[in-house]
This record gives sequence, C-alpha cells and structure tokens, in this order.
Amino acid sequence: METATSDAEEEKKATFEASEIEYASYGGEHHLPLIMGLVDHELSEPYSIFTYRYFVYLWPQLSFLAFHKGKCVGTVVCKMGEHRSTYRGYIAMLVVIKPYRGKGIATELVSRSIRVMKESGCEEVTLEAEVTNKGALALYGRLGFIRAKRLFRYYLNGVDAFRLKLLFPQRELHPSLVMMAHNDASQRHASNRPLEEFPEQQERDCSSMGESVSNK
Amino acid sequence: MDEERAEAAAVDRHDPRPSSIPSGDGSVWADVSPLLEAACTDLPDGELIHGDNFNLFAAMSALEIMDPKMDSGMVSRYYSVDEAIENGAAPVPISCDKTGDVQCTIDIMDHLLACEATWHKGHSLAQTVFSCIYLLRPERTSSHALLHSYSRIIRATCKAVVSVVSDARTHEEEDLFTMAYGLPLIGEDEKCLSMLNAVEETIARQLRACKAPSSGRKVIEDLEPLQNNLALEEGYCKAILCRLRFRKHFYHVLMCLKRPQGRGLQLARKHISSCLSELEIIRKSTEVLRSNDYGTHNCGEDKTTASGRRPVGFDASINTRLSAPTPPRSIKILSWSEAVEYFVKLLHDLDIICSFSLDASLEGILQFMVQFQKSHPDLVSRAHLQTLLIQDGKLYGRDPIFAVIAKAAGLPEIVRNHDIQNGECLVHLGQLVINLLKILSTNAAWQRRKLGKIVQDWRVIHIQLELALRQEMGEESGISADQNGRGDILRQILIWVEEQTFWIASRFLMLGFELELYSPGEYCMVYWYIYVVLIKLAERMHHKMSFTNATAKLKGKKKKGSTKDMSRDFQIPASVLFLQSYICLAEGLTMMLAALKNERMLSQSPSPFNSDHERFIQHFELLQKAGVPDHISYQSFEESTKNARFSTLVMYNYFKDAQRIAKEVKNSFPNDPERQSELRRIEQVAEHNSIALTVLCRLGSLDSSLKVSFDFSHHPYFATAVVKRS
Repeated sequence: METATSDAEEEKKATFEASEIEYASYGGEHHLPLIMGLVDHELSEPYSIFTYRYFVYLWPQLSFLAFHKGKCVGTVVCKMGEHRSTYRGYIAMLVVIKPYRGKGIATELVSRSIRVMKESGCEEVTLEAEVTNKGALALYGRLGFIRAKRLFRYYLNGVDAFRLKLLFPQRELHPSLVMMAHNDASQRHASNRPLEEFPEQQERDCSSMGESVSNK
Repeated sequence: MDEERAEAAAVDRHDPRPSSIPSGDGSVWADVSPLLEAACTDLPDGELIHGDNFNLFAAMSALEIMDPKMDSGMVSRYYSVDEAIENGAAPVPISCDKTGDVQCTIDIMDHLLACEATWHKGHSLAQTVFSCIYLLRPERTSSHALLHSYSRIIRATCKAVVSVVSDARTHEEEDLFTMAYGLPLIGEDEKCLSMLNAVEETIARQLRACKAPSSGRKVIEDLEPLQNNLALEEGYCKAILCRLRFRKHFYHVLMCLKRPQGRGLQLARKHISSCLSELEIIRKSTEVLRSNDYGTHNCGEDKTTASGRRPVGFDASINTRLSAPTPPRSIKILSWSEAVEYFVKLLHDLDIICSFSLDASLEGILQFMVQFQKSHPDLVSRAHLQTLLIQDGKLYGRDPIFAVIAKAAGLPEIVRNHDIQNGECLVHLGQLVINLLKILSTNAAWQRRKLGKIVQDWRVIHIQLELALRQEMGEESGISADQNGRGDILRQILIWVEEQTFWIASRFLMLGFELELYSPGEYCMVYWYIYVVLIKLAERMHHKMSFTNATAKLKGKKKKGSTKDMSRDFQIPASVLFLQSYICLAEGLTMMLAALKNERMLSQSPSPFNSDHERFIQHFELLQKAGVPDHISYQSFEESTKNARFSTLVMYNYFKDAQRIAKEVKNSFPNDPERQSELRRIEQVAEHNSIALTVLCRLGSLDSSLKVSFDFSHHPYFATAVVKRS
C-alpha cells in the first residue's frame, strides 16, 4: 500500500515541540473517521471502507494515531499474519499531514507498530512504497528495511513500487532449545502472544495478505 | 438476515414493476432493494460482517458506489456506445464540409496513434485505442472509405500485437495489455491491406492531379479532389498519404516478424525503414496542419494530434466497464509527439532484433539479450524477441535445444545427435535453457525475481548431472574405455551448467543496481558477493575453454601435426580476462567501502531493529539457499572485510589492475563495439576510483572534512567514488 510522510516542497510548517505530540493506539470507532480522513486526503489509491475496517478491527493493536493539541496529524495502519511459512507484519498505510512532516512523527508511529509486531512474534515486516517517494524510502531505510523487489507499475497511477522488508534478528537457539522447538513447531509464533488475541478465523484471513494482493 | 422480514418489506412496497425479470436459463433477476433495506436496520453503524472468505483482497476489491475514485460508471458521459452515437458523438461523415471532414479524419488518425502508444506503454486496450467510437462499430464507417480503411488496419494491427504478446507471455505483470474482451478484433486480417492500398492509390492520384500544371489537369478531371480548398489540397493529400503508408508498413513489419524461423527478418527491416521515413514525413506535416486553421487550436505540448485540435469521436469513459476485472484507471494519453517518439523507439528496437545474427551461439544470444535490455525496450519489442528465439521448443524454431547446449558446452559437432539427449536430466536442462531465454525477455523487475528463483533449478540440475556422471563412471569402471563418450559429454555439460548458474547469479546481482534495490550502506556486501560469484564464473569459463581447446588441439594435431600454437596454452582467454577486470573492480570497491566503514568515514547510524547481518540474509537469500556459491555466509563476508584499512589498501590498488587489464584486453575484441565501449567504461570507473582511493589513503583519517559519496556516472553497476570537502 502506501506512505505519505515526506515533503520536498516548502510548505507552511507547523511550529511545535516533539513533546507536544501525543500518540494513541487505535481506540475504537471514533478514531476511524480520523484515519480515513487523513488517508483519503494524502494517498493516491482509493480504499473502500471495508479496507480500513479490515485492518483496524482485526489488528487494532497495530494501528496508531498522532495528535497535536487534539488534532489528528498522523496515522499508521498495519496487519500481521502467516505468509508462506513465515509470520510477518505488514504496514498498509502511513500518513503524516504536510505541516507536521520532517519532525520524526512518522518514524515514531511506524516504530511503535514494528515493536508490537516484533513482540507478537513476527519474523519480518514488509510494505510497498512508490519508487518516487524518496522520503518514505529514506525513512524505512533508516529503520533497517531493504528494497527486496521492484514491482512493475504496481500502483493505479502506473508508478513502480518497491517491496521493502525488515528482517528481525533470529535468536540463535540454544542447542537444548532446538529439540523443544522441533517438538512444538506449531506454536513457534505464539510464545509472546496470548492465543485468544488471535482467533482461528483471523489467522486464516491473514494468509491471503501481502503479495497476493495486487492493486490491479 | 431475517428472511420473513425481507419478504414482508418486499410486499409492503407495492412496487408497480414486476418483482422479477426472466433472464433465460431458468434464472430470474430479482430486485434486492427491500432485502438490503431490511439488512440495514439489522446492522448498526460501524459494524462489519466478517465472513470467512472476507480477506484483504475482498476488502480491496470492494467498490464504493458514487465515489469517483472507485465507481467507474459514475463518471461516464454515456451509458452505451449506441447512446453516444445517437447523441452525435461520432458522426459519419465527420463533417459535411469536405475540408473539415479531411481535417477531422487526420486528427482521428493522430489521436489513435497516441492511444496506441499509450496502450503499448501498459494501459488497457479498451480505454486507449478503443475509446474511439468509430472503431467500436466497424459497419458504421463503411461509407467513409478513408476512415473505414484506417479503422480496419488499426483493428488488424491491434489484433496482431495482442497475439504476439499473448504467445510470448512476457507480460506477466503487464496483463492489462492482452485483455480484449468485448472489443471488435475478430475478423480483421491481412485483407484490410487491399482496401488500404486502394484508398492510398486514390489519394496518390489526387495528389498528382493537384500538382499537375493546369493544362494537364483536364486529363484527369474526372477525378474529384480530396476536398474543396485547392490551396490546402497538396498538404492534406501528403499528410494523409504518409499516415496511411506508415500503417501499411507497420502492419507488414508485424506480419514479417511472424514468419517462422526468422525468414521474414530481412523484409521486416525494409518495412521498418519505410515506417521510419513515413514517421519523419508525419512529423513534418505538423506545420501544414497547424497553419491550416479551421477553428481555434492549441499547440500545447500535451496535445494528442499534429494539428493541436481535439479529435472527434472519442470518449475515454465509454469502455471503462470493459476494463474489468480492474478498477478503472485514470489514463493520460501520451501526447502526439511522445507517441511518434515511442514508435521511433519501437521500430529501432525491432530493427535491432531483426539485424541480430540467426547463427549466434547461445552465449552470444545471452549477451545480446542483456545488451538489448539496456535500452529498456518496451513490451511489444520484447515479445517479438522472445517469439523469434523460441518457436516450437527450438531455438529460432530450427535448432534443437540439445544441439544448442552441446555447442555452448564446447562439445564437438558429432555429439549433437547423441542419444544421451533423451535422458530425463538433459530434457529438463533443455527446458531450463528455454525458460532462461524467456525470462531474459521480460521487464527488468520481473526478470530479476525470476532469475533469483531459477538459480535453485540450475543448482538442482547440476546435482542431478553430477549423479548421472557418477553412475556413468561407475558403470564404466568395469569396461576398458568410455565407448560412447557419455562420461565426457556429461562432464563437459556439467562444467557449462555451473558456468551458466554463476552467470545467472551475476546477472541477478547486477540487475539490482539497475532497479535501484541497493542502498549505499549495502554496496559493500553487494560488491563482495558479486566478486565472489564472478571469481567462480571466471574459473568455470576458463575450465570449459581449456577443455575445449585441448580437444580441438588434439584433433588439430592429428590432422596437421602442427605445434606452433603451444604458447597459447598458457594464455588466459580474452573473455576470462574481461571478467577479471570486473573482478578487480568489485574487489576494489568492496575493500574501499569496507575501509570507509571501518575508519568511520561513512555517516551511517545503526538501525534500531536489525543489523547488516539481516540485510545480508535478505539480499542474498535466494543465492544462499541454492548454495551459489557454496560455503559463503555473512561470516565469510565479515572475515574478508573487517581488516580493511586505508593504510593497507595503499599497498595494493585493485583499481590499477582493473584499468590495466581493461586496456590490455581491448585489442582482443576488435570487431565487438559493445565490448569495446564496456571496457572503456571499466577503465573510466577504475581510473576515477584509483584516484579517489589515493586521496583517501593520503588524507582520509587525518581530514575529517572529507565526504565520500558514490554515483553511477561512468558505469551502471560499478560505482564511482566522489570525494569532496564539506
């Protein structure tokens, strides 16, 4: 999906202290119009209401909003799930409105999501970004993402995308733990996550994410 | 959902319309509004029914009605083609005034050219070429010979292009291209040429008539002029003639390229050259068309016609429903001048394909394909290249793949019919070679992903061949000699498979630069991996060549008994030396980048979630999985770079080696301009980096104001270091 966080043109910048920005995890239906408003306004792809609800209802813990004096100035929307035998996180949308860009808000938003993904047992995080979106590419590059693939004319506007990937360090298993891991491979992702947080039905849903979803 | 309530709601509405409409096949259309209304009251705001099959794809495929970003029907001006025609959107004749009609026809031709180029560039046929209402109703134009013949050849051309692209299947990610359902392409074939020729002939006579002196005019007075304004007659005749002739020759080019075994290539080149000269005349006709002002016009850069006017008879939204299953894309049609540029490039690319030798070796073909891709050819020319190379499972539809492999592996000609080729392993290898040629015809992004995946296949075939060889040798151990030479054949093919595997790996790695997949912080590991792969490639290449030379020499001796060439035994072949210059560059860059990192001269802050180790795993995962090369890991990369310092690099300058080798080897390729210019680029990169390295060694750690960056100004894959004082 997309990211709108950087801005080459000289826009009127808001003056504020980093400490004035408050971050909140997705808190329910009242946050949804805020997220939709930002994304609709800043990103090029059209997303239906189903797309938003799909993300925030299934993974509310991965969506964050940034507020300045009560005004929503940025948001990140994500998901995670099984993908070809790995458990991976996916950053679907990241937006910071223009006057607030360049102050690390996007980095903070996306870092919060990535931390939750890591704690939830994800092995890697992926996303797509327009090849022309230098700001987003630099941001994700600083966080350790590599450009794994180029996706030819991925967006509706005909622009190529990069598939970006962040691999978390794999903990070297102690020899005695290898046995345990082999005996109980089915639970390898569940270690840090209470199972009830991740009902079976949702797990099935996740398996279809990522590469199978092209915007064409 | 409460069905009873829904039914009750349906009854309550007292709708005068029938509640169901028969639709044949025993099924009926039913009005679902009452059902939906009842469902709405069941579901409060903000709730989402979550079905098992409702995944992200389903969510993203949902369209919101009346949202202009998603609802393609909303923005349509007309509900149907018929409605558009009834509203006079595409009149026949286009204008009652003959001069106006001719002008409008030229505009339609120009806009169609722009649409066609836009289609080739990756948009749907329905929303580009077939946004022309005239094309959608073939029978309507029959009274207008000029427009009708032009429409027919456009449809026939589209059909031919769709067919070659579908056959080649180079369009994996460009699948919009061949979607043509609902469009009137069926039935158009080469017959359209005879009608076009007749129209061309008439206009050529009209042109002769208007140019003839007034005395001679009487002779051909029975011939009506093209239009009424005598002052414009010559210009218009010429403008139309070049447009018709371009179409004719372009169609011939496509037909010639379709001929089996490359038999039409020479003729295709003639038509390509005619196309290019007609395009030049079309380009020049702009002046005439713009000066003959019929109403206001605008000569802005984004105009889609030579005259600058908007064409009659097009509606971009009329086919949006046919572009399913994709959401409608907003399409910007290329400008007329961009369209002409596009066709010039397409024709040049096709000409390059046509002029390539049909007798080239596999190595030559692979090199040609890499070279061809450098100019970023578009889908249509890539599809033609592929259909030319692979026909009926044979190279050029002519050479059996085993013969091609045997030749590439340096085996003598008699082996090419050996029954060994029917073994499972070699049949499979043949498929891999065909697959490789197909992959090299796809766009760079797709190509790289596929190359990464097939490395594994090549590795597997390598293991299978090794096994087969071992079996062969085991069986032979009882016999005195290898009667059939099967062992030798397998051994030789095995070396070639290894060489080929490393070649694929190197292409995979280098394409990463072209696709901008590496960030400067990763260059060091990428060049290191390239270095490691290239060394293996050079080894295998050398191995294969010395084997082949030995066999050849043996034969030579038998025949002539000559020994004069003995000294060549100790020489490294030029193509291996050529690789050697790459190797030196890659090693030099690795070491320079490592030294910069070790001496903390690159401003790189550690990333919060992972390290270089993870980035190494990710970038080279596919190669590592396939063991290409064996025993290579992040640890070996760390080992070989951790001690790099400028104080030691000053002792040995790899770039000077690269420069020297490039200079030396140049003379070995006197008839290969591509290689010559590649060697010049190598020399340049090496020279610049050599100087940068010297500066860094002398001042590096002392002068903290030195900033080093890398660019690709001299070579697409090998970076040039730029040292600046900040």
